[in-house]
Amino acid sequence: MIAVLGLVLGVVAGILTRPVVPMGLEPYLPIAVVAALDAVFGGLRAMLDGMFDDKVFVVSFLSNVVVAALIVFLGDKLGVGAQLSTGVVVVLGIRIFSNAASIRRHLFRA
Amino acid sequence: MSDPERAPREPDPAPGEPGQASPAPGSARKPQAPEPAAPDPPAAPATPGPPARPRGRDALLAGLWPPRVTRSQLIVAALLFVLGLGLAIQVRAASADDSALRGARPEDLVRILSDLEDRTGRLEDEKNALEEQRTDLETSSDQAEEARRQTAERERQLGILAGTVAAEGPGIELRVTDPRGAVRADMLLDAVQELRAAGAEAIQINEVRIVAGTFFTDENGQVRIDGRAVSAPYVIDAIGRPQDLEPALNIPGGVVQSLEKEQAGVVIERPETVVVDALRSAERPDYAQSSS
Repeated sequence: MIAVLGLVLGVVAGILTRPVVPMGLEPYLPIAVVAALDAVFGGLRAMLDGMFDDKVFVVSFLSNVVVAALIVFLGDKLGVGAQLSTGVVVVLGIRIFSNAASIRRHLFRA
Repeated sequence: MSDPERAPREPDPAPGEPGQASPAPGSARKPQAPEPAAPDPPAAPATPGPPARPRGRDALLAGLWPPRVTRSQLIVAALLFVLGLGLAIQVRAASADDSALRGARPEDLVRILSDLEDRTGRLEDEKNALEEQRTDLETSSDQAEEARRQTAERERQLGILAGTVAAEGPGIELRVTDPRGAVRADMLLDAVQELRAAGAEAIQINEVRIVAGTFFTDENGQVRIDGRAVSAPYVIDAIGRPQDLEPALNIPGGVVQSLEKEQAGVVIERPETVVVDALRSAERPDYAQSSS
Protein backbone atom coordinates (compact mmCIF):
# COMPACT_ATOMS: atom_id res chain seq x y z
CA MET A 1 0.00 0.00 0.00
CA ILE A 2 2.77 2.36 0.96
CA ALA A 3 4.56 1.37 -2.23
CA VAL A 4 1.55 2.20 -4.38
CA LEU A 5 1.29 5.50 -2.57
CA GLY A 6 4.94 6.13 -3.40
CA LEU A 7 4.30 5.57 -7.11
CA VAL A 8 1.32 7.90 -7.13
CA LEU A 9 3.23 10.49 -5.18
CA GLY A 10 6.12 10.31 -7.64
CA VAL A 11 3.86 10.88 -10.64
CA VAL A 12 2.16 13.79 -8.92
CA ALA A 13 5.48 15.32 -7.92
CA GLY A 14 6.83 14.94 -11.44
CA ILE A 15 3.80 16.68 -12.89
CA LEU A 16 3.67 19.47 -10.34
CA THR A 17 7.31 20.39 -9.86
CA ARG A 18 8.42 20.02 -13.48
CA PRO A 19 12.00 19.24 -12.65
CA VAL A 20 14.63 19.83 -15.31
CA VAL A 21 16.67 16.81 -16.28
CA PRO A 22 20.32 17.51 -17.01
CA MET A 23 21.13 17.53 -20.73
CA GLY A 24 23.53 14.62 -20.52
CA LEU A 25 21.05 12.33 -18.84
CA GLU A 26 18.11 13.02 -21.13
CA PRO A 27 18.64 10.20 -23.65
CA TYR A 28 18.89 7.66 -20.83
CA LEU A 29 15.75 8.58 -18.95
CA PRO A 30 13.25 6.76 -21.20
CA ILE A 31 15.35 3.60 -21.20
CA ALA A 32 15.78 3.81 -17.45
CA VAL A 33 12.05 4.21 -16.98
CA VAL A 34 11.31 1.17 -19.12
CA ALA A 35 13.91 -0.86 -17.24
CA ALA A 36 12.42 0.18 -13.92
CA LEU A 37 8.97 -0.77 -15.18
CA ASP A 38 10.35 -4.18 -16.02
CA ALA A 39 11.68 -4.54 -12.48
CA VAL A 40 8.35 -3.45 -11.01
CA PHE A 41 6.42 -5.98 -13.06
CA GLY A 42 8.88 -8.65 -12.02
CA GLY A 43 8.43 -7.71 -8.41
CA LEU A 44 4.68 -7.79 -8.70
CA ARG A 45 4.85 -11.22 -10.22
CA ALA A 46 7.17 -12.45 -7.51
CA MET A 47 4.77 -11.17 -4.92
CA LEU A 48 1.94 -13.07 -6.51
CA ASP A 49 4.15 -16.13 -6.61
CA GLY A 50 4.62 -15.64 -2.93
CA MET A 51 8.35 -15.18 -3.15
CA PHE A 52 8.77 -11.45 -3.03
CA ASP A 53 11.91 -10.17 -1.41
CA ASP A 54 12.54 -6.50 -0.98
CA LYS A 55 16.31 -6.83 -1.20
CA VAL A 56 16.07 -8.66 -4.49
CA PHE A 57 13.63 -6.08 -5.70
CA VAL A 58 15.87 -3.17 -4.81
CA VAL A 59 18.90 -4.73 -6.39
CA SER A 60 17.08 -5.75 -9.56
CA PHE A 61 15.48 -2.35 -9.85
CA LEU A 62 18.75 -0.46 -9.54
CA SER A 63 20.78 -2.84 -11.66
CA ASN A 64 18.11 -2.86 -14.36
CA VAL A 65 18.22 0.90 -14.57
CA VAL A 66 21.99 1.12 -14.47
CA VAL A 67 22.59 -1.63 -17.00
CA ALA A 68 20.02 -0.25 -19.40
CA ALA A 69 21.51 3.22 -19.20
CA LEU A 70 24.98 1.74 -19.58
CA ILE A 71 24.02 -0.13 -22.72
CA VAL A 72 22.59 3.00 -24.27
CA PHE A 73 25.61 5.01 -23.24
CA LEU A 74 27.89 2.42 -24.80
CA GLY A 75 25.77 2.40 -27.93
CA ASP A 76 26.04 6.16 -28.20
CA LYS A 77 29.79 5.93 -27.94
CA LEU A 78 29.89 3.22 -30.59
CA GLY A 79 27.58 5.14 -32.89
CA VAL A 80 24.76 2.62 -32.72
CA GLY A 81 22.88 4.29 -29.89
CA ALA A 82 19.54 4.40 -31.68
CA GLN A 83 19.61 0.75 -32.68
CA LEU A 84 20.87 -0.40 -29.31
CA SER A 85 18.26 1.52 -27.36
CA THR A 86 15.62 0.05 -29.65
CA GLY A 87 17.00 -3.38 -28.86
CA VAL A 88 16.92 -2.72 -25.13
CA VAL A 89 13.35 -1.51 -25.32
CA VAL A 90 12.36 -4.61 -27.31
CA VAL A 91 13.96 -6.98 -24.80
CA LEU A 92 12.47 -5.20 -21.83
CA GLY A 93 9.12 -5.11 -23.56
CA ILE A 94 9.17 -8.84 -24.08
CA ARG A 95 10.02 -9.39 -20.42
CA ILE A 96 7.27 -7.03 -19.31
CA PHE A 97 4.82 -8.93 -21.47
CA SER A 98 5.75 -12.33 -20.08
CA ASN A 99 5.64 -11.01 -16.53
CA ALA A 100 2.27 -9.46 -17.20
CA ALA A 101 1.10 -12.79 -18.57
CA SER A 102 1.96 -14.65 -15.37
CA ILE A 103 0.48 -11.85 -13.27
CA ARG A 104 -2.67 -12.21 -15.28
CA ARG A 105 -2.67 -15.95 -14.70
CA HIS A 106 -2.47 -15.35 -11.00
CA LEU A 107 -5.12 -12.72 -10.84
CA PHE A 108 -7.69 -14.09 -13.21
CA ARG A 109 -6.67 -17.73 -13.19
CA ALA A 110 -6.70 -17.62 -16.95
CA MET B 1 4.22 -5.17 -0.33
CA SER B 2 3.83 -8.64 1.10
CA ASP B 3 6.05 -8.05 3.98
CA PRO B 4 5.10 -10.58 6.61
CA GLU B 5 5.15 -13.33 4.08
CA ARG B 6 8.74 -12.99 3.11
CA ALA B 7 10.11 -14.59 6.23
CA PRO B 8 11.31 -17.83 4.67
CA ARG B 9 13.38 -16.88 1.71
CA GLU B 10 13.16 -19.24 -1.13
CA PRO B 11 15.47 -19.58 -4.02
CA ASP B 12 13.88 -16.75 -5.89
CA PRO B 13 14.14 -16.07 -9.50
CA ALA B 14 14.76 -12.39 -9.55
CA PRO B 15 11.63 -10.29 -9.66
CA GLY B 16 12.47 -9.17 -13.14
CA GLU B 17 12.82 -12.71 -14.36
CA PRO B 18 10.11 -14.02 -16.66
CA GLY B 19 10.86 -17.54 -15.68
CA GLN B 20 12.03 -18.66 -19.09
CA ALA B 21 15.67 -19.25 -19.74
CA SER B 22 16.41 -15.79 -21.01
CA PRO B 23 18.65 -13.94 -18.62
CA ALA B 24 18.18 -10.43 -19.81
CA PRO B 25 20.30 -7.48 -18.74
CA GLY B 26 19.45 -5.96 -15.47
CA SER B 27 17.82 -8.90 -13.84
CA ALA B 28 19.48 -9.39 -10.53
CA ARG B 29 19.55 -13.11 -10.39
CA LYS B 30 20.46 -14.14 -6.94
CA PRO B 31 20.01 -17.83 -6.35
CA GLN B 32 19.73 -18.22 -2.68
CA ALA B 33 19.50 -21.34 -0.72
CA PRO B 34 16.48 -21.65 1.50
CA GLU B 35 17.52 -19.96 4.66
CA PRO B 36 15.83 -21.23 7.68
CA ALA B 37 17.26 -18.31 9.63
CA ALA B 38 14.89 -15.71 8.29
CA PRO B 39 15.85 -12.09 8.80
CA ASP B 40 12.97 -11.06 10.91
CA PRO B 41 10.92 -13.74 12.54
CA PRO B 42 8.54 -11.29 14.21
CA ALA B 43 7.40 -10.23 10.78
CA ALA B 44 5.34 -13.38 10.46
CA PRO B 45 3.36 -13.64 13.60
CA ALA B 46 0.08 -14.68 12.10
CA THR B 47 1.34 -17.34 9.74
CA PRO B 48 3.17 -19.89 11.79
CA GLY B 49 4.49 -22.20 9.12
CA PRO B 50 6.60 -21.38 6.07
CA PRO B 51 4.26 -23.14 3.60
CA ALA B 52 1.40 -20.82 4.62
CA ARG B 53 2.47 -18.07 2.24
CA PRO B 54 -0.53 -16.77 0.41
CA ARG B 55 -0.26 -16.87 -3.33
CA GLY B 56 -1.99 -15.25 -6.26
CA ARG B 57 -4.79 -12.91 -5.57
CA ASP B 58 -4.65 -13.44 -1.85
CA ALA B 59 -1.06 -12.32 -1.80
CA LEU B 60 -1.93 -9.13 -3.62
CA LEU B 61 -4.81 -8.34 -1.31
CA ALA B 62 -2.78 -9.17 1.77
CA GLY B 63 0.00 -6.90 0.51
CA LEU B 64 -2.36 -4.05 -0.20
CA TRP B 65 -4.38 -4.06 3.01
CA PRO B 66 -3.86 -3.28 5.78
CA PRO B 67 -1.00 -0.89 5.05
CA ARG B 68 2.14 -1.63 6.97
CA VAL B 69 4.95 0.83 7.52
CA THR B 70 8.10 -1.19 7.47
CA ARG B 71 11.58 -0.61 6.19
CA SER B 72 11.11 -2.69 3.08
CA GLN B 73 7.82 -1.01 2.27
CA LEU B 74 9.48 2.36 2.57
CA ILE B 75 12.39 1.34 0.36
CA VAL B 76 10.09 0.00 -2.32
CA ALA B 77 7.98 3.12 -2.02
CA ALA B 78 11.04 5.27 -2.53
CA LEU B 79 12.05 3.34 -5.64
CA LEU B 80 8.55 3.54 -7.04
CA PHE B 81 8.55 7.24 -6.27
CA VAL B 82 11.64 7.63 -8.40
CA LEU B 83 9.99 5.57 -11.13
CA GLY B 84 6.86 7.71 -11.04
CA LEU B 85 8.96 10.84 -11.17
CA GLY B 86 10.91 9.60 -14.18
CA LEU B 87 7.72 8.46 -15.86
CA ALA B 88 6.05 11.83 -15.44
CA ILE B 89 9.13 13.74 -16.60
CA GLN B 90 9.56 11.54 -19.62
CA VAL B 91 5.92 11.68 -20.62
CA ARG B 92 5.96 15.44 -20.40
CA ALA B 93 9.21 15.70 -22.30
CA ALA B 94 7.93 13.38 -25.01
CA SER B 95 4.71 15.32 -25.42
CA ALA B 96 6.59 18.60 -25.87
CA ASP B 97 7.90 18.81 -29.40
CA ASP B 98 11.05 20.84 -29.08
CA SER B 99 12.39 18.91 -26.15
CA ALA B 100 11.83 15.72 -28.11
CA LEU B 101 14.14 17.14 -30.75
CA ARG B 102 16.55 18.33 -28.11
CA GLY B 103 16.94 14.85 -26.75
CA ALA B 104 17.36 13.27 -30.17
CA ARG B 105 20.64 11.98 -31.50
CA PRO B 106 22.49 13.70 -34.35
CA GLU B 107 21.79 10.90 -36.83
CA ASP B 108 18.11 11.03 -35.91
CA LEU B 109 18.15 14.76 -36.43
CA VAL B 110 19.74 14.35 -39.85
CA ARG B 111 17.12 11.79 -40.78
CA ILE B 112 14.32 14.02 -39.55
CA LEU B 113 15.74 16.93 -41.50
CA SER B 114 15.98 14.99 -44.74
CA ASP B 115 12.47 13.65 -44.20
CA LEU B 116 11.26 17.19 -43.76
CA GLU B 117 13.04 18.30 -46.90
CA ASP B 118 11.46 15.49 -48.89
CA ARG B 119 8.11 16.38 -47.50
CA THR B 120 8.62 20.07 -48.27
CA GLY B 121 9.46 19.18 -51.86
CA ARG B 122 6.38 17.04 -52.21
CA LEU B 123 4.17 19.69 -50.71
CA GLU B 124 5.74 22.32 -52.96
CA ASP B 125 4.94 20.22 -56.02
CA GLU B 126 1.43 19.71 -54.81
CA LYS B 127 1.03 23.42 -54.20
CA ASN B 128 2.21 24.26 -57.72
CA ALA B 129 -0.20 21.77 -59.23
CA LEU B 130 -3.06 23.13 -57.19
CA GLU B 131 -2.23 26.71 -58.11
CA GLU B 132 -2.18 25.78 -61.78
CA GLN B 133 -5.54 24.14 -61.38
CA ARG B 134 -6.87 27.20 -59.64
CA THR B 135 -5.70 29.46 -62.46
CA ASP B 136 -7.38 27.17 -64.98
CA LEU B 137 -10.58 27.21 -63.00
CA GLU B 138 -10.51 30.96 -62.65
CA THR B 139 -10.06 31.59 -66.37
CA SER B 140 -12.68 29.03 -67.28
CA SER B 141 -15.12 30.45 -64.79
CA ASP B 142 -14.43 33.92 -66.19
CA GLN B 143 -15.27 32.60 -69.64
CA ALA B 144 -18.38 30.93 -68.35
CA GLU B 145 -19.38 34.14 -66.62
CA GLU B 146 -18.91 36.11 -69.84
CA ALA B 147 -20.93 33.58 -71.81
CA ARG B 148 -23.67 33.69 -69.21
CA ARG B 149 -23.70 37.48 -69.30
CA GLN B 150 -23.99 37.51 -73.08
CA THR B 151 -26.72 34.93 -72.92
CA ALA B 152 -28.68 37.01 -70.43
CA GLU B 153 -28.21 40.11 -72.59
CA ARG B 154 -29.42 38.26 -75.64
CA GLU B 155 -32.35 36.88 -73.71
CA ARG B 156 -33.38 40.41 -72.77
CA GLN B 157 -33.13 41.61 -76.35
CA LEU B 158 -35.10 38.67 -77.66
CA GLY B 159 -37.59 39.06 -74.83
CA ILE B 160 -38.36 42.58 -75.99
CA LEU B 161 -38.98 41.29 -79.48
CA ALA B 162 -41.08 38.39 -78.29
CA GLY B 163 -42.96 40.54 -75.82
CA THR B 164 -42.03 38.45 -72.80
CA VAL B 165 -40.30 41.29 -70.96
CA ALA B 166 -41.33 44.87 -70.34
CA ALA B 167 -39.48 47.63 -72.16
CA GLU B 168 -39.08 51.34 -71.78
CA GLY B 169 -37.37 54.09 -73.71
CA PRO B 170 -37.99 57.08 -75.93
CA GLY B 171 -40.94 56.88 -78.28
CA ILE B 172 -44.40 58.19 -78.95
CA GLU B 173 -47.86 57.70 -77.58
CA LEU B 174 -50.71 57.73 -80.09
CA ARG B 175 -54.14 58.30 -78.58
CA VAL B 176 -57.11 57.58 -80.86
CA THR B 177 -60.56 58.57 -79.65
CA ASP B 178 -63.39 57.04 -81.55
CA PRO B 179 -66.70 58.70 -80.65
CA ARG B 180 -68.53 57.14 -83.63
CA GLY B 181 -67.13 53.67 -83.43
CA ALA B 182 -65.70 53.96 -86.89
CA VAL B 183 -62.23 52.61 -86.21
CA ARG B 184 -61.69 49.17 -87.67
CA ALA B 185 -59.06 46.59 -87.08
CA ASP B 186 -57.34 47.27 -90.38
CA MET B 187 -56.78 50.88 -89.39
CA LEU B 188 -55.00 49.82 -86.22
CA LEU B 189 -53.04 47.29 -88.26
CA ASP B 190 -52.03 50.10 -90.64
CA ALA B 191 -50.84 52.17 -87.69
CA VAL B 192 -48.81 49.26 -86.32
CA GLN B 193 -47.25 48.53 -89.70
CA GLU B 194 -46.41 52.16 -90.21
CA LEU B 195 -44.76 52.30 -86.80
CA ARG B 196 -42.83 49.14 -87.48
CA ALA B 197 -41.64 50.42 -90.79
CA ALA B 198 -40.44 53.54 -89.02
CA GLY B 199 -38.37 51.46 -86.65
CA ALA B 200 -40.57 50.95 -83.60
CA GLU B 201 -39.05 48.28 -81.41
CA ALA B 202 -41.83 47.58 -78.96
CA ILE B 203 -45.50 48.36 -79.36
CA GLN B 204 -48.57 47.87 -77.23
CA ILE B 205 -52.18 48.85 -77.88
CA ASN B 206 -54.08 49.42 -74.66
CA GLU B 207 -53.09 46.34 -72.66
CA VAL B 208 -52.08 44.09 -75.55
CA ARG B 209 -48.48 43.67 -76.58
CA ILE B 210 -47.95 43.71 -80.32
CA VAL B 211 -45.52 41.05 -81.53
CA ALA B 212 -44.81 39.26 -84.78
CA GLY B 213 -47.74 36.89 -84.43
CA THR B 214 -50.32 39.43 -83.37
CA PHE B 215 -53.55 39.39 -85.34
CA PHE B 216 -56.35 41.96 -85.60
CA THR B 217 -59.99 41.01 -86.09
CA ASP B 218 -63.35 42.78 -86.22
CA GLU B 219 -66.11 41.14 -84.34
CA ASN B 220 -69.55 42.66 -83.92
CA GLY B 221 -68.18 46.13 -84.57
CA GLN B 222 -65.53 45.65 -81.90
CA VAL B 223 -61.84 45.33 -82.51
CA ARG B 224 -60.08 42.29 -81.14
CA ILE B 225 -56.33 41.97 -80.94
CA ASP B 226 -55.02 38.46 -80.40
CA GLY B 227 -58.56 37.59 -79.49
CA ARG B 228 -58.74 40.14 -76.71
CA ALA B 229 -61.32 42.87 -77.08
CA VAL B 230 -59.96 46.38 -77.07
CA SER B 231 -62.13 49.46 -77.07
CA ALA B 232 -61.71 53.19 -77.65
CA PRO B 233 -59.84 55.18 -76.75
CA TYR B 234 -57.01 53.26 -78.32
CA VAL B 235 -53.65 54.13 -76.79
CA ILE B 236 -50.72 52.97 -78.88
CA ASP B 237 -47.37 53.06 -77.12
CA ALA B 238 -44.37 52.63 -79.40
CA ILE B 239 -40.70 52.70 -78.44
CA GLY B 240 -38.41 53.94 -81.14
CA ARG B 241 -36.85 57.12 -82.44
CA PRO B 242 -39.60 59.74 -81.98
CA GLN B 243 -38.28 61.88 -84.84
CA ASP B 244 -38.85 58.92 -87.16
CA LEU B 245 -42.07 57.59 -85.68
CA GLU B 246 -44.10 60.79 -85.63
CA PRO B 247 -43.53 61.88 -89.26
CA ALA B 248 -44.23 58.32 -90.39
CA LEU B 249 -47.72 58.62 -88.95
CA ASN B 250 -48.24 62.14 -90.26
CA ILE B 251 -47.35 61.63 -93.89
CA PRO B 252 -50.11 62.80 -96.29
CA GLY B 253 -52.59 60.03 -96.85
CA GLY B 254 -51.07 58.19 -93.94
CA VAL B 255 -52.45 56.78 -90.73
CA VAL B 256 -53.44 60.02 -89.07
CA GLN B 257 -55.20 61.42 -92.09
CA SER B 258 -57.17 58.29 -92.78
CA LEU B 259 -58.21 58.07 -89.13
CA GLU B 260 -59.32 61.67 -89.09
CA LYS B 261 -61.28 61.03 -92.23
CA GLU B 262 -63.30 58.53 -90.16
CA GLN B 263 -64.01 61.26 -87.59
CA ALA B 264 -61.61 59.77 -85.10
CA GLY B 265 -59.57 62.09 -82.90
CA VAL B 266 -55.83 61.50 -83.04
CA VAL B 267 -53.34 62.93 -80.57
CA ILE B 268 -49.60 62.17 -80.77
CA GLU B 269 -47.40 62.83 -77.77
CA ARG B 270 -43.71 62.39 -77.16
CA PRO B 271 -43.32 61.51 -73.47
CA GLU B 272 -39.87 61.45 -71.84
CA THR B 273 -40.06 57.67 -71.57
CA VAL B 274 -42.59 55.33 -73.06
CA VAL B 275 -43.28 52.25 -71.02
CA VAL B 276 -44.38 49.09 -72.79
CA ASP B 277 -45.26 46.77 -69.98
CA ALA B 278 -47.94 44.52 -71.41
CA LEU B 279 -46.51 41.02 -71.59
CA ARG B 280 -47.06 37.89 -73.58
CA SER B 281 -46.28 34.47 -72.22
CA ALA B 282 -43.39 32.77 -73.93
CA GLU B 283 -44.64 30.00 -76.16
CA ARG B 284 -42.60 26.95 -76.82
CA PRO B 285 -42.86 26.01 -80.47
CA ASP B 286 -44.26 22.55 -80.98
CA TYR B 287 -42.38 21.64 -84.14
CA ALA B 288 -39.70 24.16 -84.89
CA GLN B 289 -36.43 23.53 -83.13
CA SER B 290 -33.32 25.64 -83.04
CA SER B 291 -30.93 24.37 -85.66
CA SER B 292 -27.90 26.13 -84.28
